Amino acid sequence: MTDFALPVEIEQLRAEAERFASLELVPHARAHEKSLCWSAAVLDVLAKLGLREVDLPGDWGGADAGVLAKVVLLETLASGDAGGLPAADQPGLATGALAACPDAGLARRIAAECLAGRASLALVCADPEAPELTPAIHWAPSWPQLRWAFVSRGDALALFELTRALEPARALAFGASGGVGGALAGASKLGEWTLARHQGVTLRGRARLWCGAVALGVAQSAFDATVRYTTERVVFGKPVAHHQGNAFELAVAATSLHGARLLVRAAAAALDRAAADAGFWATEAWIAAVEAAVAVSDLGVQLLGGHGFLVDHLAEKRFREARMLALLAGGRDLAEADLAELVLEVPDSLTQGGPP
Amino acid sequence: MIELDPRTREQLAEVRELGRTYMRPMGLESDRTGDPPPADHPFYLLCSRQGGLVSRVLGENERDEDGAALTWKPLRALLTAEESAYWDRGVALSLPGPGLGGAALRSLATPEQRARFLAPFADHSRARWGAMAMTEPGAGSDVARIQTRARRDGSDWRLDGAKMFCSNGARAEWVVVWATVDPALGREGHRAFVVERGTAGFELLKIEHKMGSRGYETASFALDGVRVPAENLLGGESKYRTREGFRGAMATFNLTRPLHAAQGVGMGRAALDHALDFVRREYPSQGRRRQRALEKLSAIRRELETARLLCLHAVWLARRNQPNTLEASQAKLFAPPVVFRAIAAALEIAGEAGVRNDRHLEKLYRDVKILDIGEGTQQVQRLVIARQLLGLPREA
Repeated sequence: MTDFALPVEIEQLRAEAERFASLELVPHARAHEKSLCWSAAVLDVLAKLGLREVDLPGDWGGADAGVLAKVVLLETLASGDAGGLPAADQPGLATGALAACPDAGLARRIAAECLAGRASLALVCADPEAPELTPAIHWAPSWPQLRWAFVSRGDALALFELTRALEPARALAFGASGGVGGALAGASKLGEWTLARHQGVTLRGRARLWCGAVALGVAQSAFDATVRYTTERVVFGKPVAHHQGNAFELAVAATSLHGARLLVRAAAAALDRAAADAGFWATEAWIAAVEAAVAVSDLGVQLLGGHGFLVDHLAEKRFREARMLALLAGGRDLAEADLAELVLEVPDSLTQGGPP
Repeated sequence: MIELDPRTREQLAEVRELGRTYMRPMGLESDRTGDPPPADHPFYLLCSRQGGLVSRVLGENERDEDGAALTWKPLRALLTAEESAYWDRGVALSLPGPGLGGAALRSLATPEQRARFLAPFADHSRARWGAMAMTEPGAGSDVARIQTRARRDGSDWRLDGAKMFCSNGARAEWVVVWATVDPALGREGHRAFVVERGTAGFELLKIEHKMGSRGYETASFALDGVRVPAENLLGGESKYRTREGFRGAMATFNLTRPLHAAQGVGMGRAALDHALDFVRREYPSQGRRRQRALEKLSAIRRELETARLLCLHAVWLARRNQPNTLEASQAKLFAPPVVFRAIAAALEIAGEAGVRNDRHLEKLYRDVKILDIGEGTQQVQRLVIARQLLGLPREA
């Protein structure tokens, strides 16, 4: 990846999404969070932007535009409001699991239901040392109705169909997606498969990259808002941002964010090429993105001072979202375990060689 | 994840082979003796041969957008910097070619000057170097404070002052020397001159002795009434209207900072490979120490890959003639601490085995520190970034 320009069609998509995010998502973010959903008007525009379809294959009814297009779209929308994205984007985090599902007919049927907005699909990343593949869903969006759940554990994959509605479950963030949770014990198992080596990491990596892309948007909006506030507000005779201690922290935050974005996009391009190590790099990119987002959003609250703690600003919302994005798709420990499995094998991205 | 054209990939393979055969052993030898390899070392001639590394980085026989036959290829220079520093950063900095002076020529020189000063590098009979001298005993990070004076003297210029930290300066065909026509003018007073080898008054004071990165010359000079013809003023006098000279210096840094950072990525990769090798040999079966080591290694890989992408992105902007001050500084801010952590982590993984002088890791630990100082310290990079993003005033 030595050409960093986005293809024209992705750049157009980004520009459209950016307009929509700033004009329609930002002003209503609090109202959407309170109502536990996004409005029909927002969902109409997202449908026109092709949020659900963009990275799905053509034979599922998708646009086949690739993961790079998807991460750019997610980041841009999240820079306005990330709250409803886990619900509105279906199959969203579970897209990789759906793509890896050996029962192609079943996968196509589920994708069609998700694309039509009639049902949603969850992905549970389970501890590889867990005794069985029937853990609980701690949190999933409550709309559209949750109907299926993939459970990924190592290279094992299982698919369940829920037979009853789960309990409402509020979470740290993403209020506009609502929330449900509960045990999968009573669900009907539609299949259980052992995937080819590394497919498990790839499908989990794709879910993590989804979170990483959203984290970038959250982080960028947090950074931009912090710069706006701290370059206007004067303390001790000069803007908050012009005190060198603060300026240096903001410089580091911007650099981490820029680096994470490059890593997320490179990993997306690797997924689009179906590179063998794409899951590894997607997982690495997620860690970089959520680390940046957690740091930037924390700085956003900190530099706003007491204002940052109030719901009058979106800083505290981004602070919560960033942390939650670092916990989804199995969280950090599972990601570290996946990386540790592969770190001795994945070749250097430039030389493609191991130790000389 | 990184896609390269076949020519660039071929060049990288060549650097790798040169590194394995020559650069690593030469670097270890220089580290032992404290002296850089001599200028007539056969390795340098090999690099300078027709179609060799120097002509590839220069893009010999490949025309640039402005028609110049010889130019300087930033992406190739970047990748060469990373790969050669993998083997030995000191020797990497000693590679023949125009060096940092090449970046200055690219930023400031007229097409005629570029052709003239790069022409000697098309002579493959011996190795040749270019160099750049900005830092002075009293002006390091704050380059606006340089005191070396440039005074018009008839049709020539006369230079007086002192320079230090000039890489390969003692063996260079020419050195791009930054001077000021009036220190009171600050950045507006800056001019860049090409001072050619043997010019009277341009005297080598000493080759510095360093903690690490000993494979290249770090020269200090005195300039005592050095007469330079007007045609050696890079870009000509018209280039230096309102801060143009300082902008030229900054544009030069915008090219060289990513190169510097990329050298760090190469060093970090070397440490990573040592650590990977150590884990494979010493912890073949699962266990707590192996797991802790693998988690450290995955963090190193993530950070090094991010640093590499930051470097590539900064150079990609430069190749498109787009502003890259912010991105060049971000690459330079990010990479050195990451590389330092990578080497420290590799040392921790190797434990006491890593500190012995006959192991490469302890040398890397000594070599790496200068990365965070040269081409602008991380504190300077933060200032540059803050100026770009926050409107931080210069006096802050």
